[in-house]
Formats: sequence, structure tokens, C-alpha cells
Amino acid sequence: MSDLSLLVQMGLGALLALSVYLPLRCGQLSLATPGFYAIGGYVAALLSTRWPALAAAGAGGLYPLPALLLEMVLAVGLAVGLALLIGRPVLKLRGIYLAIATIALVEILRVVNLNAGWSGGAVGIFAIPQPFDGPGGYLVCTALLLALCCWFCARLEQTRLGRAMAAIREDELATRCMGVPTAQVALSAFVLSAAIAALTGVVAAHFLNTWNARQGGFDASITTLAFVVFGGSRTWLGPVLGGLVLTALPELLRPVGDLRLIVFGLVILVGPILAPQGLITPERLAALARAFPARAAGGNGVRR
Amino acid sequence: MSSGVEHLLQVLFNGLASGAVYALFALGYTLVFSVLGVINFAQGALFTLGAYFTYLLIGGAVGSNGALAGFQLPLALPFWLALLLAGAGAAGMGLLVEATAFAPLRQRRAEPLLFLISSLGAGVVIVNGVQLLMGAESYSIPAGSLGRLPAAVLIGGAQVRTVQLLLMAVAAVVLVVLTLWLEGSRLGKALQAVSEDPVTARLLGIDAGAMIRLAFALSGFLAGVAGGLVALSVSIAGPYFGIGFGLKGLGVLVLGGLGSVPGAMLGGLVVGLAEALVPAEFSGYKDGVAYGFLFLVLLLRPRGLLGKATVSKV
Repeated sequence: MSDLSLLVQMGLGALLALSVYLPLRCGQLSLATPGFYAIGGYVAALLSTRWPALAAAGAGGLYPLPALLLEMVLAVGLAVGLALLIGRPVLKLRGIYLAIATIALVEILRVVNLNAGWSGGAVGIFAIPQPFDGPGGYLVCTALLLALCCWFCARLEQTRLGRAMAAIREDELATRCMGVPTAQVALSAFVLSAAIAALTGVVAAHFLNTWNARQGGFDASITTLAFVVFGGSRTWLGPVLGGLVLTALPELLRPVGDLRLIVFGLVILVGPILAPQGLITPERLAALARAFPARAAGGNGVRR
Repeated sequence: MSSGVEHLLQVLFNGLASGAVYALFALGYTLVFSVLGVINFAQGALFTLGAYFTYLLIGGAVGSNGALAGFQLPLALPFWLALLLAGAGAAGMGLLVEATAFAPLRQRRAEPLLFLISSLGAGVVIVNGVQLLMGAESYSIPAGSLGRLPAAVLIGGAQVRTVQLLLMAVAAVVLVVLTLWLEGSRLGKALQAVSEDPVTARLLGIDAGAMIRLAFALSGFLAGVAGGLVALSVSIAGPYFGIGFGLKGLGVLVLGGLGSVPGAMLGGLVVGLAEALVPAEFSGYKDGVAYGFLFLVLLLRPRGLLGKATVSKV
């Protein structure tokens, strides 16, 4: 069963990587993803534990799926609201300033979660009801979410908005001169990123069965960023692959015992040096399509 | 009985002392940033390393959890000497970080984001290496390590620990020496030239690579010394304790203005004082206050308190 659990964790990692990827595709290094992830988790944990009527509506002792959907809607609503509120002033910052402002935001949320009365303090919230009777159900749920987000990101890359995002990353001034409302495009990326992170938090809270302020701190900012840098930040497949592989890596390295975090560190250290663009770039995908023309014919719009 | 004024004075000294630590940290970041224009995320790990080196060099024994369980150096140096050697050790590790995480990326002019990731990887390796060797337990340096100096002195009715005064003194000396050195010496000017324009600096006969290594060694030394002093003043709360300080040092850096030496110092003192002024019943929110402050400053004045305005095309 633990293999299935690892698959769920890998899926959640890939979702978080997509959340970091969206602003980065737009040239914005935002590390706010763990903050919105924590918000999603608290929405799920609080609703399901403090509102007994919701949990009691389920059949067979399981938490009802419509209630899970309700949590997702509320979590996304809250995250999007906050992202809209702070997005505009924060996104005026560039580069390392934006990164540090978003780290500060994540830390502020963590400190509030650690100390506020409703959050259960450092101990957190326990015994979050289970909508599924095993990791299999979570795997289906996570896989569905991941597929949905992948489809969305893949479609986005082909739309006007997605192309505008890539253009801003290459040259913001030129993009604005072409009449693209750059501030609004960057804000859209930030808001979408927040929504995906909050969705992931909802699933993670039920899956982990407990939620506390340690979920979504600075460590998470860095690991999720590593997912994207490792996989590549120019097409959606990169972060998904990075999230899947790097989440699994510490578990796969369990045989080497105490050395596993050191090896993880070495991967993050060497990755940017060996593959500055990440493992997956649009150019490599195109080369793959040329090598296997039969598959590319039905593929996702890769033209030769 | 302590009156209101004495209490305030006490709070002020506590704030100045922790502010001094943040400032030392931020100065280390500043040195590397002013030369390379990138942030060295391994700085917190070097701080951890300095603290552990100091502990070992004064003759401290390793606890029972790490691979080196029970290990003890066959010497017990005085704290001062141990601190300087620990600084040198951290400087050496700083050079190693430069050679592995920065030099290869610099040679191919990679984007700044990649430096952030690779230096972070270096930090993860160092911190977990320390954990592997010495375990995750906390260590503390005996209070008597300062020799004949008294444990605390009374200033205006406020009890100030000698370590705290030491931290403030070290930070002040570093600020003055660093400013004079950067502005007045040939080497300092060469460092500035490299940060201004590496290509022109090279044409003028300045070895840019050597200047960059110098910046890393110096910033590693500062981090190591700060780590040793904090180990004495508080304790070593496990290998990860440098990361928390490093994160706040980063905030201080931006608060003061990236690349500004007096700015780093001012930012440190502002954050230290702001934290000390948080009432005891809200002490859990102390960390949040510093970051909230930083967040506001970033939004209202993105270049920081003393930072130079950069002209933006957009």
C-alpha cells in the first residue's frame, strides 16, 4: 500500500510544481505556492473537523465527496481572493525582490497559522475525516486533478494569454509595446498558481490526515522551486516530470539511509549546472517528435 | 524592582544584540551580492558550520546520535581562537561553495535564478552533512568560555550579557572595517570595479575570479563568526538553525537595500529592535513582525531603506 501512497505524493508534488511553473513561465519568480497550499489545507481541515454535519452526511463512515468538492471551491475562492488582493502590489517587484516578498508572505502565513487559536497551534488539526478508504481513492483523485491541471496548462500555452506570458518572460518592455496588458497577464498567472496550490492543499490535508503550520514553509518553497528548475520551466511537462521524480527521489534513496538528503542536495546543486534549462525544453520535445514522427502526428500540436 | 525606563533599556539592548547577528549575516550576503549580483543561499549553512566548528574547537564532545558519536578533538582552544579558526573554516567552505555551485554557472553566464538553486543545493548538502556527522541534537557552549570576563554588566540599570555586548562590538567593528576597506584600499576598489563591470575590470588587470573568491571567503568568515557567537549567546539548536537565521538575514538585507553595507547594518538593527519590542504575550508572532515589516517596506520602497534606486525600463 505504501507504493500507492508514494504515487499520491508524487502527484501532489507535480501539482505544486505546476503552481510554481505558471508565474515562472511569465518570468515571475514567486515562492508563494506553499502559502496558498497551507491555506487550502486549513480550509479542508477546519471544514471537515469543525462541522460535524458535513462529515455525518457521508455513507459507510467515509467523508462525502460533495463536501470535498465544497472544500475545494472554498479553498480556491479564498486563495484567489488573497492572490488578487496582494498580487497587484507584489507583482510590481522584480526578480529577487519578488522572491523575497513572497518568502515573507509564506513566513507571515506560517507564523499566523502557528499562533492563531483556530489553527490548533504547533500541534495542528488531527483526525481529518477520510473521503476514501485507502490510498487508491486518493490516487484516482490526485491523478484526475493532475490530468485536469496538465490539460489546462497545455491548452493555456496555445492561447493568447499563454503566449503573452512567455513573451513577458522574454522581454517585458517589448511585450507591453505590442499592446499586451502585462500587469494583468502576470496577475492571471499568479492567481492561477494560487488556485492550483490551494486545490493541492485540500487533497493533501485529507491524505495526510493531519495539518499543521509545518505544512508549507520555506523548505516547501525551495523544494517546489527545485521541481521546476530540474524539470524545466518553459513547458508544462517539465515541472510535472520534476515534481514526480524529485518527490520520489528521497523515498527511492531510502536504502542509502542518512545519505539521502545529501544526495537530494547534490541533485539540486548539480541540476542547474548540467541542464540550465531543465530536463524538458520545447526544443527537446520537438527533436523527440522528429525522431518519432508517427506519435507526433497524434501528439499535442508539435509541428515539424 | 525594574522601572519602566530600565525595562525599555533592557529591551533595547536585547534588540540591538539580535539585530547585530542579523546585520552580520546580511553583510555576508551583501559582499557576494555586490560583486556577483546574486544571493548565496548557502550562507545559512556556513553559519551552522561556524557554530559547530567553534563548539568542536573549544573541546566540545559530539553527542550520541551522529556518525562521529563521542568524538572529541584532543584540544580545548580558548573561545577567541576557536571562533577565529571556525570563521576560517567557514571561509574555506565558502570557497568550496563558490567553486562547485557558482563558478560553473558563472562561466556560462547562467540566469541568476540558477545560482539561487545551486547554492541552495550546496546548503542542503552542508547542513545534512553536519547532521549526519553530529546528529540533530542541540549543543551549547559553556557560559564560562569567555574567560575572566563577567557574565553580564549593568548599564543604566539594565542587565546586559557580555556576549550581547560582544555581538554588538563585532558587528560595529566589521561595519567600520568593511566600509573603510571597500572605499579606501586598492583591493576594496578592485572588488567594486568587478561588481561594476567585470569585463572592464579584467582589462584593467584585475583578476575578477580572485576578487569573487575573496568576496566568498570574507562572507563565509562573517557567517562562521556570527554562528560561533550565536552558539555562545543562545545555543546550537541543531544543524538547521542556521537556515532560519539565514532567511531572516535575507529579509534584513532587502530591508536595508541590496548591496548597501550601511543598509545591511541598519536593516539588522531595525528588525532586531522591532522583534524585541513585541510584547511577551504575543511573542509567538515575533518572527511574523519582522517579515510583515519587510513586506511593507518592499511594497512601499522596493529598493530598501538605504538602497540606490535602479532605473527601470518598464
